[in-house]
Amino acid sequence: MLDVSGLHAGYGSSTVLRDVSLEVLPGQVVCLMGRNGAGKTTLLRALMGVLSKTGRVQLDGRDVTGWKGHRINAAGMVWVPQEDSVFPGLTVREHLLIAFGRREGDAGLAAAAALFPILGDRMGQEAQTLSGGERKMLGIAQALIVHPKLVLMDEPTEGVAPIIVEQLLPAIRMLTQSAAVLLVEQNIDMALALGSHAYVLEHGTIVESGDIRRLQDDGVLERRLAL
Amino acid sequence: MSPGAALGFLPTDSFNVVVLIGVFVLISLGLHFTFGLLNVVNLAHGEFLLIGAYTAFQVQEATGNVVLGILLAPVVAGTVGILIERGILRPLYERPLDSLLATFGLAVIIRQVVQLIYSANPRTVQDAIGGSIAVAGFNVPWWRLVVVIATVGLVALVSVILARTSFGLHARATVRNPALAETMGINVGLMRAALFALGSAVAGLAGALLAPINTLDPQFGLLFLVNAFLVVILGGQGSLRGLVIAGALLGGTLSILQFVISTVYAQIIVLVIAILAVRLRPVLAARIAAYRDRRSPAQGPGPGSAGKAVTAGAPRHG
Repeated sequence: MLDVSGLHAGYGSSTVLRDVSLEVLPGQVVCLMGRNGAGKTTLLRALMGVLSKTGRVQLDGRDVTGWKGHRINAAGMVWVPQEDSVFPGLTVREHLLIAFGRREGDAGLAAAAALFPILGDRMGQEAQTLSGGERKMLGIAQALIVHPKLVLMDEPTEGVAPIIVEQLLPAIRMLTQSAAVLLVEQNIDMALALGSHAYVLEHGTIVESGDIRRLQDDGVLERRLAL
Repeated sequence: MSPGAALGFLPTDSFNVVVLIGVFVLISLGLHFTFGLLNVVNLAHGEFLLIGAYTAFQVQEATGNVVLGILLAPVVAGTVGILIERGILRPLYERPLDSLLATFGLAVIIRQVVQLIYSANPRTVQDAIGGSIAVAGFNVPWWRLVVVIATVGLVALVSVILARTSFGLHARATVRNPALAETMGINVGLMRAALFALGSAVAGLAGALLAPINTLDPQFGLLFLVNAFLVVILGGQGSLRGLVIAGALLGGTLSILQFVISTVYAQIIVLVIAILAVRLRPVLAARIAAYRDRRSPAQGPGPGSAGKAVTAGAPRHG
């Protein structure tokens, strides 16, 4: 599904990721873990073509290293970014229409509203005025409705009240059942509940990888994440 | 006695106010795309009007059909626009000073090329529809009426394209968050090229429409450049509604003051109004937002997270 090897990326002349290699198999939920500033979000941005990179990224056996984001999206890899990533001034309805196109039209909007009823109530509201939790619902709905092959999900429950997490979890599970997922997650309980495999990033380099339960049982996650 | 009559205003003078408002909006509409949306400080905007005007002139000279020239003007200007965007501006979107320098250089080059081909001598583009029509007892030149009607039509068309079509939705997403737009499947490079070409085409059409009521020479575009930027900046970069309001304010004020005072004082006063409006706009906007918040306290972020509502700074359409 996703095969990354020897990836280097950063911002301008500053290199953030060094020699990152990882693999996500079809149907697998792989957790990407690490402390703040380790390079997790940078890795997702690089994979989605937002940052220039060197190394090799293969999606379904195709080399997509130099591809731009719209081609990567069309190839079936979608990104659920952190909550701040919305289009200022555009409504919830317009965000959903951008994600799945006008061809899906009312059916797509109805599916999003069925998934998260509060989004149905807020279709005409500007997305930037949604709460953080609602923006995460919007991001997940955008990804779920387009039936992707692979989802890059950036901390879908971070900073969200427990009552909202309860609403998000069923949709996240639906995503994990229908697509492979590379999940950035700092919450170990959440990662254990959703993932089967984990990579730990430190200072832009993969320092641990393997079965997530083994990493937990061996105390690796606790040590590496300084819990 | 009406205020207009007290100032010695004739009905034809009122119509001229409407025409100048139309001109201000028309010359700014193309810049709405290139500067208002794409954020390119496009100092070559006037030269796209120039290209449109000389296209109308050239076709008129070659075929005697000025209408054909006006129809071809946006095609020629749009084609030049897309070549410039792809060839020069494409890597400069994140480098505003470099794009400013590039468009300034392009403006000079285009003017010089036009002068080499057509000389600096003034040219005339004929009215496609000559004569005048009697409206409410006074004569209105047909072509000026056409300019006003075309402006209204173009504003409506641009508004529909940006607000009601998939292209417009993708365009608005592109200009507001290009990185996110790209990852959501929008070809940002292609969208920027299309927007620049559209802006150039609209400017070319504006030039062709205005050529019959102005002297046409290689400096033609410079006549409009400053006023077009004033309108777009005063209206709020990226706001079509603001552009129309600013065009009406500046064009209307200028034409009335030209009549009651003098052209020189009128221009000074219009510039002072523009500067004051830009200076006071943030204060007024904050007060309007506070007033709206007081009137609808239930609006705002929904329940359930540490997330914050982001409300500042986005360009708006409407």
